Amino acid sequence: MRIVIAEDTVLLREGLAGLLEDAGHEVVARAGDAEALMAVVAEHEPDLAVVDVRMPPDYEDEGMRAAADIRREHPHTAVLVLSQHVETRYALELVGAGGFGYLLKHRVLDVDDFLDAARRVSEGGSALDPEVVATLLSPQPRDDTLAGLTPREREVLALMAEGRTNAAIAKRLWLTERTVETHVRSILGKLGLPVSGDDHRRVLAVLTYLRASTV
Amino acid sequence: MARGAPLHENDGVRTVLRTIAWCLALVALAMIAGGVVLDRIAAEQHVSDADSWWLYPFLVAAVSAPAVVGALIVARQARNPIGWILVVGALSLAIVLAASPYASVALQAHPGSLPGGSWAALVSSLWPVFFAWPLAVTFLFPDGRLPSRRWRPYALFAGSAMTLLMVALVLADELEPPFADVANPVSLRFPDTLGFLRPLAWLSVFASLIAGAAAVRVRYRRSKGIERLQMLWLAYAALLIPLGIVWFLVWSLAVGEAGAGEAVVAVLLGMEAAVAIAVGVAVTRYRLYEIDRLINRTVVYGVLTASLGLVYALVSLLGGVAVGRGSTWVTALAVIVVAAAFGPLRSRAQAAVDWRFDRARYEGLRRVRAFVDDVREGRREPEEVGTVVASALRDPSAELLFRLPASDAYADRLGAVVVKPVGDGRAVTSVEHRGQEIGLLRHKCALLDRPDLLRSILDASSLAIEIARLRVEVRLQLAEVEASRAKVVRAGYEERSRLERDLHDGAQQRLVTLGIRLRRMQRSLPREAQILGPALGSAVDEVGEAIEDLRTIAAGVRPPRLDEGLAAALADLVRAAPLPIDLEATDARLPEEVEAAAYFVVCEAVTNAVKHGSPSRVRVEAIVADGALQLVVVDDGSGGATIGQGSGLVGLADRVEAQGGTLLIHSPVGAGTRIEVEIPCES
Repeated sequence: MRIVIAEDTVLLREGLAGLLEDAGHEVVARAGDAEALMAVVAEHEPDLAVVDVRMPPDYEDEGMRAAADIRREHPHTAVLVLSQHVETRYALELVGAGGFGYLLKHRVLDVDDFLDAARRVSEGGSALDPEVVATLLSPQPRDDTLAGLTPREREVLALMAEGRTNAAIAKRLWLTERTVETHVRSILGKLGLPVSGDDHRRVLAVLTYLRASTV
Repeated sequence: MARGAPLHENDGVRTVLRTIAWCLALVALAMIAGGVVLDRIAAEQHVSDADSWWLYPFLVAAVSAPAVVGALIVARQARNPIGWILVVGALSLAIVLAASPYASVALQAHPGSLPGGSWAALVSSLWPVFFAWPLAVTFLFPDGRLPSRRWRPYALFAGSAMTLLMVALVLADELEPPFADVANPVSLRFPDTLGFLRPLAWLSVFASLIAGAAAVRVRYRRSKGIERLQMLWLAYAALLIPLGIVWFLVWSLAVGEAGAGEAVVAVLLGMEAAVAIAVGVAVTRYRLYEIDRLINRTVVYGVLTASLGLVYALVSLLGGVAVGRGSTWVTALAVIVVAAAFGPLRSRAQAAVDWRFDRARYEGLRRVRAFVDDVREGRREPEEVGTVVASALRDPSAELLFRLPASDAYADRLGAVVVKPVGDGRAVTSVEHRGQEIGLLRHKCALLDRPDLLRSILDASSLAIEIARLRVEVRLQLAEVEASRAKVVRAGYEERSRLERDLHDGAQQRLVTLGIRLRRMQRSLPREAQILGPALGSAVDEVGEAIEDLRTIAAGVRPPRLDEGLAAALADLVRAAPLPIDLEATDARLPEEVEAAAYFVVCEAVTNAVKHGSPSRVRVEAIVADGALQLVVVDDGSGGATIGQGSGLVGLADRVEAQGGTLLIHSPVGAGTRIEVEIPCES
């Protein structure tokens, strides 16, 4: 996988690059701010851009805006945004469109998970940080549909929202894939969503539902 | 209006002129003092009337008043002839007045003891010089110039008449009493000629006095503002003449012919002093504005005295008819009736005079006084004083500004600060209370012609103005304190924001970097060093835990999700809480400080509830209504929470009040706690 990294802290940037290179990926370019990122993406057309949210000059949400630009202008380049803290404002829209992931930075320490998310995103799937998913699944007084799910179903739903496949969910929860499929059908039925064999479209539906019910 | 000394005038010249004036005044005073001493010497020899000692104060006053006033005017306005007229007039009068006892001593008491007795007798017969300076003042007051060129012939005539009278007296065959038998040293002995000259001269002098009175009248009619007041002062003093004549008539009726001559002299001397003082007030403008009140009071008490006299006479008459003349009961009754009538008659007379002579001021003052009463009773706000003053002055454009001594600026009734007020085509008058400026009044220029009206309205409302000023000042200071408190709280939020950013972007990034480095090390261990793998793994886990701790701390400093709104931040709070919380929060975005304050209030309230009340549930509501964020935190714990007792609730109240909000705690023991907060927000 050809990757560019945008991160203003040099040590962290090199650490990330090393981590990805160790996993056999090719880091084709490094950028320190959003402008440089746009330039290297245009130059290299990489498979994936790993982007820090806060970058010079204002340290606000430059990375997020750059991510949106990349998804629009270079649809073949997926984006994995790394953030210091949870911020759902733009992330959900981009996740909904696919080819996009949003993770808290320290998830990187869980290397296999991180690499898995990177792979999913570059293949057009999505990755959403569990903490963000948790904010979406928090009980809402005006909506008791979510409250109607069993605890196990809620676990499955959270993993679905993170962008994981049935197989990954089954592995996580020590279940068989068939059981997971049953849960998924039940969840989609309770939420009134169409049942689909396609993992990605399923995630989109779930996220769209959750976003509509929270934001 | 008096001319000030030209700017280029030499200070030395002014000092010399001032010194000369004071010397002349002192000479006049010395002469009149000498005259008094000589008169006492003459009285010991019974050549003068020993009982007339009470005249001395009048003599001294008639000389000292114009002397001192004249010298004061010269000291201020060296080029104004009025001062010189008074000084020279006082000196000439002193000479004439001192000459009479001198002649008495030299010719009658101790003949031959003093030289020039007959010359002194001649000088003493020039007593009509007494009329000279008042006559000059009527033509030249207050600026030393004639009312117009047309008046020049009249002035010349007056001067000639006075001179003619003096000449006639000097050349007279027979000197004035009491020296009728003294030989005139310069008599021309043409009795037939002088016989018609003297009455003619007297007649001309009286005609001149009438012309002078006309000049005063013309000038008064033309005058405005300050000059009008100056003319009023002169007229007021001159009015003493008819009053003096009345007094003289009463006196001669009471005392009989014996004291009549001296009474006339006393009246004339007193009048001279009064006119001099009036001129002094008018020219130096010291207490210039009191003339209206003075006239007003004089008329009121004149009317009052006349009415009371009438009442007394009527009661005495009717009582005499009923009971019989000379009864002490009748007198007592009359006194009681007069005493009872005094109060009501006085206020009636005052109102009638005010109403008759100055309707505008009467109405204006009535309005202001009614307002001041209303303020005292709490029926109206003192800040309305500006409107009341404007209506009392009948000037809708009038605008009152309150002085703020701390900043040397002014504020209107709503507290808007004006640094350097300008008139905008209006006049600006300073308002004072106990000698200190408390405000400014901008008003139409026409009111400058009625300084007395302006002054009395402002004086009557000055207490209300002062109260309003203090209230405006306190309100402004309070607003300042509140603003600075809000600023402090805001700085606190900004500091938290910065700290949170430092934790996330600084320390946390370093830990993540460290973790990555350890992880890579772990994953790239050569086969023979695999034994280190678990140790590195647990090191990474510890780094991860440190990061979690750091994130918790950062969130406590300032939850980053406040950037996404109150609802998002509160949702995180609810998720992390150790007990179930029902949350209903508005999705509306509010000002940053309001959201931060609300978040920390909920945070503290929930913490407080868990710590002290051990509730089973908490309910949090945050809705926007009536332009304010309405925040309610209710729990079913043990209650009994108060703002005191070192709870975090004190800090809450501070935060809320810094945003101009209110915090209410309802926490009966055993029945849970309800915290209600209202924070205004512009949405």
